[in-house]
Amino acid sequence: MKRSFKFIYMLLIYCFLYIPIAALIGYSFNNTEYSMLWQGFTTNWYRDVLHDSNLWVAVWHSFYLAIAASSTALLIGTLAAVSLCRYEFRGKSLLRGLLFVIILTPDIVLGIALLILFSLGSLALGFWSLYFAHVTFCIPFVVVIVLTRAKGIDPNIFAAASDLGANEIQLFWRIIVPMLLPAILSSALLCFALSFDDIVISYFVSGPGFEILPIKIFSMARLGVSPKLNTLCSLLFFMTFIIVCFSHWFTQRRKA
Amino acid sequence: MKPKLHYFSVGLIATWLGVFGLLSFLLMVVISFLQQDPDHIALPYFTFQNYIDLLDPMFLKIFIKSFYVAIIVTGGCLILGYPFAYILSRLPEKLQNISLLLLLLPFWTSSVVRSYAMMSLLKTKGLLNTLLLSMGIIHQPLQILFTPTAVGIGLIYNLLPFMILPIYVNLERFDIALIEAARDLGAKWTTVFRKVIIPLSMPGIVGGATLVFLPSMTLFFISDLLGGAKSLLLGNLIENQFLMANNWPRGAATSVLLTLIMGAGLLMYWKRTKNKEAEHEAFL
Amino acid sequence: MKYTFRALNVGFVSCVCSQKSCINLYTPFARKFPASPKFKSLWVYWLGLILLSSFSTLAMAESNVVNVYVWSQELSPKIVENFQKETGIKVNYSTFDSNEVLYAKMKASQQSQYDVIEPSSYYITRMAREGMIEKIDLKALSNYHNLNPAFQHPEYDPGGEYSIPWVWGLTGIFVNRRYYPDDKITAWRDLWSARYHGALLLLDDPREVFNIGLLTLKYNPNDQNVSHLKEAYENLVSLSPNVRVYNSSSVPSMLTDEDVAMGIAWGSDVYKAQVENPNIEFIYPKEGFVIWVDAFAIPKNPPHRENAYKFLNYILKAQTAALQVTESYYPTANKAAMAYLPKEIVDSEILFPGPETMKRGHFQSDINDDAIEALSRYWQLLKLQ
Repeated sequence: MKRSFKFIYMLLIYCFLYIPIAALIGYSFNNTEYSMLWQGFTTNWYRDVLHDSNLWVAVWHSFYLAIAASSTALLIGTLAAVSLCRYEFRGKSLLRGLLFVIILTPDIVLGIALLILFSLGSLALGFWSLYFAHVTFCIPFVVVIVLTRAKGIDPNIFAAASDLGANEIQLFWRIIVPMLLPAILSSALLCFALSFDDIVISYFVSGPGFEILPIKIFSMARLGVSPKLNTLCSLLFFMTFIIVCFSHWFTQRRKA
Repeated sequence: MKPKLHYFSVGLIATWLGVFGLLSFLLMVVISFLQQDPDHIALPYFTFQNYIDLLDPMFLKIFIKSFYVAIIVTGGCLILGYPFAYILSRLPEKLQNISLLLLLLPFWTSSVVRSYAMMSLLKTKGLLNTLLLSMGIIHQPLQILFTPTAVGIGLIYNLLPFMILPIYVNLERFDIALIEAARDLGAKWTTVFRKVIIPLSMPGIVGGATLVFLPSMTLFFISDLLGGAKSLLLGNLIENQFLMANNWPRGAATSVLLTLIMGAGLLMYWKRTKNKEAEHEAFL
Repeated sequence: MKYTFRALNVGFVSCVCSQKSCINLYTPFARKFPASPKFKSLWVYWLGLILLSSFSTLAMAESNVVNVYVWSQELSPKIVENFQKETGIKVNYSTFDSNEVLYAKMKASQQSQYDVIEPSSYYITRMAREGMIEKIDLKALSNYHNLNPAFQHPEYDPGGEYSIPWVWGLTGIFVNRRYYPDDKITAWRDLWSARYHGALLLLDDPREVFNIGLLTLKYNPNDQNVSHLKEAYENLVSLSPNVRVYNSSSVPSMLTDEDVAMGIAWGSDVYKAQVENPNIEFIYPKEGFVIWVDAFAIPKNPPHRENAYKFLNYILKAQTAALQVTESYYPTANKAAMAYLPKEIVDSEILFPGPETMKRGHFQSDINDDAIEALSRYWQLLKLQ
């Protein structure tokens, strides 16, 4: 294939992916409340969003929940992946099957099932119910990612460490975790994204006093996307973009 | 010391998934065999009725329709995604990383809001039509929004990376020497592609197809927004059973059936690729 | 629906990256935390975060609060703020966007955590019948007299004891006069005309659509007779070639942008669209139309009953109700509030039609389970046309 053709093809695909984002950002400056066509420039929506304290409480809650849930899911998922990779135990295939069922079940089913479960266990809906639910649907993804990496590790390394007198816990902290670090950190990014954008499950297990962003966005969108919502999403997009750029710049500088 | 960590980690994961995964899923399976009762979640009488109900030709029609949509979307993603993945896998490493990040960046914003943005582009008076009209390519605005085409575009837009990534993972490890060998032995480019590249990247294609096929049947908010909610997908069906008809046992039965079908499909794939350990690990 | 899958792609990149071990995003971290001792501090930090969160949630549960669960955009943040200032009671307010979700959530929990909920009229009937909401002591609400008498004994709650009506609205026909300048449209029946092939917007709500099917057949929109519903379904099948789109979430934007020029819509949505596009006209069909009401109710054994009453009484204040109307353009059931509203809202035929028109209105009320089962089946069949 010709170079220029390759370049043009990639450019077209990226255009396809980014034009809606560009539209979203563009419409966040749109001077209208209901229309989705261009009606003039304004920055009022940004002022509105920045002053909406309710919205930022929801952003904070979501952020907070995503960190708590993804770190727990990381802990459990990593241990699970290491066990699945290294140990033989009864019910191993059941565990694998279960991880798959969680990935495959439609969200609404998991949401309702967890709601019934929490209700039977009389757990009050709020931070904790959301936390348990989010950890549960994040775990399988962590396992999938970490396991791929764990299987690539040469088992002789563990044998060598044991021979040199490392106990199992030292082995875990000093050998396995550092070697799995890229997979762990990337699954952390994934879990964060999963938890930050989950709507259906959160809908059922959220309670009063702990409103989170995706639900807020969804109920706002249900009555039509206002430029305000576009503004919020543009702001969040810019934040991600800046973080990504910063970390990229940071690595490049380190390398240099 | 060894058993301690072993027991701790196996115990922890088994407890967590046992309580929140197995128990809640079993709850659904149990409910799917119970009798429907509008005032309570279900009545404790055993029945197969909910599964028998699913033999209704109407449900069959929804299944077939969803399958049809899913096949078209999967095909579209494959045609668009394969060349992209191929080009991506042949880029210098530094560029590859940036390209991958750029591929994913749009997906960190809310999917619902992005679908609305897509809607604003495809409108009769939207950006696409304005652009094409002003360039003189068309003289009548295209009516894309609220047609099956719009649903297709929306689904492909949302699912393209699922197709690209597994194929990319696969092609990235592809040994370029194989192509050279085939060329040296006198094969034409088309033959190389058909006989060498495609068969070797099959696991990636199958993986991508699974990941695109399943969600395109359940991502119903896209068909509702862009297609004008004129047809039903499996996702709508499950939601309707639970929420609108308030028939939890049948909703549970529908989703148990759906999970079984999806599980069977994946199982078939793993059985076939069991010898290719490395490839199927990506999907556990 | 399957939002999870959307994010799965990120996982795949991570798979890829984990093999290449040099993705930009995490290399800085990897360098920062090379081996064990610092790692432990990371776990400790995580544990601390989780503990902290548990304390913050515990603290929240103790204080003086009222938990409110309302329709999205039907309770202005300003009202919440003012109430908090005035009474010192903290309002935890969450929003939902369909009665079904509210109902499913209330049904699955044994004990409600909410003190005040806001179902639509027909769900009030259902929840009252199933013992999910409790009777409200109207005498304890000193502002109750502000309520419009027309809403004090509605069909869906004849005693008026289970609910405090808050906002309401009507369903009618809208037409954009730029596209259909001279069409004479007075009735639902007119939508069936072959002239409107593939042009109509219908609300994406089974009850709303079947109301039209029933009303054109001269049945009551709350008809529970399954054979009547079947007739309505067959009637609607003949309408379906005219349907361009089912939608209830972005009606104002579709109307202003002229994506659709005719169809059925809620009055308040048309009012909003009219502000930006004056070509749109709203018509109350002569066969009659349906009035929806969203009303506050108290779930059985609320955790903070006293605060719930204080909240309801505050909601019944004329100024509070008026504020809500100016924020979201939903007509209010509060009569005293009319005095605080701008003239153009009070005089709007779309939001507050005159008594002659109102006579044709039917309050939407609950239908029995057989009817719901039939309705949801016919709705699915209609969509499969």
